[in-house]
Amino acid sequence: MPEVIGRSVPRADGPGKVTGQTLYTADIEHKGMLHAAILRSPVPAGKIVRLNVDKARQMPGVKAVVTAADVPNVRAGWALFDTPMFARDEVLFEGEPIAAVAATTLAQSRAAVAAIELEIQEIPPVGDIDMALAAGARLIHPKLAQYGSVPGIVFNREGNVACKYAYEEPGVDEAFARADRIIEDTYDFGRQYQGYLEPKGTVVQYRDGRYTVQSGHQYVFNLRDRLAQFLQIKPSDVRVQGMAIGGGFGGKLDFGPEPYAAVLAKATGKPVKLIFSREEDLLAATVREGARVRVRSALDKDGNIIGREFFTDHDNGAYSGELILMAGLALMFCRGVYRTGPIRTQFRLIYTNTSPTGAYRGVSGVPMISAIECHMDHIARELGVDPRAYRLAHTLNNNEKLPNGQMLHDAAILMEAYAEIEKIAPWEEMKRTKKPLEGVAIGSTVWLTNPLPASATVKLNEDGSAHVLSGTCDIGTGAMAQGVVGIVAQTLGLDPANVHVVQPDTDVAAYDGGSQGSRTTRAVGRAAEHAAIEVRQKVLDAAAPLMQTEAARLTLSGGKIHDIEDPGKAIGLTDILMMGAFASGPIVGTGKHAEQPIPFDPGCAAGLAFPTLPTPTYHVHMAKVAVCPMTGNVEVKRYIVAQEVGKALNPQGISGQIQGGVAQGIGYALHEGLRVKDGRYMERSLEAYRLPLAVDIPEVEAIILEHPADEGPFGAKGTAEPPIVLAPAVIHNAIYDAIGVPLNSIPLTPENILEALERRKSA
Amino acid sequence: MKINLKVNGILEEVEVDASAVLLDVLRDKLHLTGTKEGCREGECGACTVLIDGQPVDSCLYSAAAAANAEIETVEGISANGLSAIQKAMVEEGGIQCGFCTPGIVMTLTALLRQNADPTPQDVAVALNGNICRCTGYSRIVSATLKAAKNAMAQKAGDAHA
Repeated sequence: MPEVIGRSVPRADGPGKVTGQTLYTADIEHKGMLHAAILRSPVPAGKIVRLNVDKARQMPGVKAVVTAADVPNVRAGWALFDTPMFARDEVLFEGEPIAAVAATTLAQSRAAVAAIELEIQEIPPVGDIDMALAAGARLIHPKLAQYGSVPGIVFNREGNVACKYAYEEPGVDEAFARADRIIEDTYDFGRQYQGYLEPKGTVVQYRDGRYTVQSGHQYVFNLRDRLAQFLQIKPSDVRVQGMAIGGGFGGKLDFGPEPYAAVLAKATGKPVKLIFSREEDLLAATVREGARVRVRSALDKDGNIIGREFFTDHDNGAYSGELILMAGLALMFCRGVYRTGPIRTQFRLIYTNTSPTGAYRGVSGVPMISAIECHMDHIARELGVDPRAYRLAHTLNNNEKLPNGQMLHDAAILMEAYAEIEKIAPWEEMKRTKKPLEGVAIGSTVWLTNPLPASATVKLNEDGSAHVLSGTCDIGTGAMAQGVVGIVAQTLGLDPANVHVVQPDTDVAAYDGGSQGSRTTRAVGRAAEHAAIEVRQKVLDAAAPLMQTEAARLTLSGGKIHDIEDPGKAIGLTDILMMGAFASGPIVGTGKHAEQPIPFDPGCAAGLAFPTLPTPTYHVHMAKVAVCPMTGNVEVKRYIVAQEVGKALNPQGISGQIQGGVAQGIGYALHEGLRVKDGRYMERSLEAYRLPLAVDIPEVEAIILEHPADEGPFGAKGTAEPPIVLAPAVIHNAIYDAIGVPLNSIPLTPENILEALERRKSA
Repeated sequence: MKINLKVNGILEEVEVDASAVLLDVLRDKLHLTGTKEGCREGECGACTVLIDGQPVDSCLYSAAAAANAEIETVEGISANGLSAIQKAMVEEGGIQCGFCTPGIVMTLTALLRQNADPTPQDVAVALNGNICRCTGYSRIVSATLKAAKNAMAQKAGDAHA
């Protein structure tokens, strides 16, 4: 039996996906199923003066029309409860749901939506964070102070600021006062759409007093809880069954169409399908937030950073999702992975009359780390030193601390990552061989693995195959289809083809933190490993009497139980299951995983949702770009990643995550930006919001570093999220190197670059 | 109106609106749900099917206009087990979430029929009408090259036999 761990075993769900047999939400049909559509606010801000659904209710095929009047008058949310299900008296963003219709056909429900009489008295929108922070700005949530929130987390809120966090170490002002020079940058970051290929959708049924929700969703327990909040029912009255998911990237962690379909399913007594159109999905997606980061460094005469100010403002949109939990990142990332003197840091999450923002791969860390990395290049250039050499001289080593007091025991992996890249792309040679308008850049960071708890059950079947039950899905990364399958196959000595993953189901699985933050392989994998170890022990215990020996003398591999001390003696696993199961009972194991808390300084980090960076991993990226002076287009000529993964359980899966994450980062660096004007998105289709194509993306060279972690399954750490985190800044800095004038936004579109080239001419 | 569609070699008579697009007829009338809807604006290519061998976005293609043509969907090319490109996509890891995959498989099926030995650039250009958000494309490109290589080796083997 060849080793499974460390081998590029193809994903278990590949044949289903490549033949189109895999069932996604939109493919579900139920007897009598109705089709739903939502009426959304056409304006970013206003008072609802009139809402009349009588005519819509009389339209052909219409079975139900529901509005705020038909649902509990409550506000819900992931952490801060500020979100109503339907707009009640006022609308706070363009696209906010106002009513929902279920009809026999989709065309009928859309016709009925068009027939709803809606009159809104428009109010000038608080369209961006500057307007929201201006003195005398209209308050988007006048009752903000009264909103409930999850216990245990402190949200400092005031005015249009949903959450503010600030901390400073002693000596910042003194450092700036004695500085040899001060360098300051302000960077603006655009909104990035997750752009998953499958628009959000759901099918909901209401039977026997319970809701059954079928959705391709990243975090079925979060969805269950949100529905319970909106509908004012017990979480256990909701059953969420995860479907195959056509991409998510953080965008499918919270509620989408589900509460609306649920209310309609109850009102009609029929299954209700609600699939967002692409425009609707884009309008209502909780995209990566726009942000403005101001970073200021005090330098001594040797170029050491003796003080740092870091102020990061993030656009929450009209309601809060996951971002309100991210305040602590401003503490962890304000220095990057570099030594600085004392820091002063501040995070603000600001309400605007725009579509709510949320998690996207690298949630809230992307603008922060990008700002630090761009600022590092600026400092190096101001000092007239090489940006790589400057980084190396100031990079954290083993056992140095982040500002939250967390010790980074293994930060020297960063040096290893630089060295590995140097082997295949020597920096001096990269610089020397540049042609005009070509640029190179390198950057580094630390990233985390989401620490939410996990559970898994492994059920051994009578034919010697196994099923893995858990509360999370394979979002596409292969974390389940390759990672967890491999862990269970290896532990039980099974062929990976005989290990089957069951889609998540909140009625069946114990609580799990969902597919997010690179946690699945590590946390669910560890839980599944524990479960499989229990199964293995039960198999050996059942085999021992049949083999007339002790379980301690037995091992399980290749579908057989072997006697270590008598190699000729073996019995088939299926024989045990047929015979032994009568004596021992069916063989099932369960496992769980919870991350050990990391010590931190409570003086600065108490009350934060994430006071530490759990399971730190280390990353160095290098890029080479060429800028076209005629069009402003940028070609990424070479891209190299060196990434710490703990243990590469499946190298193919990992390199796929690196390639895919970098592709999204390149898209964000160069053209993916949802522009907001007067509170409205200017890009409203995939034609206008351009996603990277095959011709845009080079083959990313991936160097996988392995420093196994004791707590991870076979030593694995999180892998999938971080490849996107450095790419925007590294591309940005390579463009800076190519054209030599400072640039202060991401994305850098061809227009931005042509404008910078003009500046260069006149300089 | 009633139209005749020849889908994967089987003649089907379907009742459709004159304005119906092929995607809806395939998915809703013929229950061929392997073809996916990603945008309904002809941008993402998840709905790609072949009409007389040419890849088209079925979300924009009039069902009536497809009458009497040879329509191929992912179900058709999977009828006799995995094709060379499907097998290579699985082995090379050219699949992540899988939602774009059927459309990409159809585009690459057409490419490989027309160009038995494509370059990486040929593959990338052929994929201009298909978006994959997950993979960053390079494993899809390498899968295509592998499928082409395997098919050529197979052909050479057959010629010797």
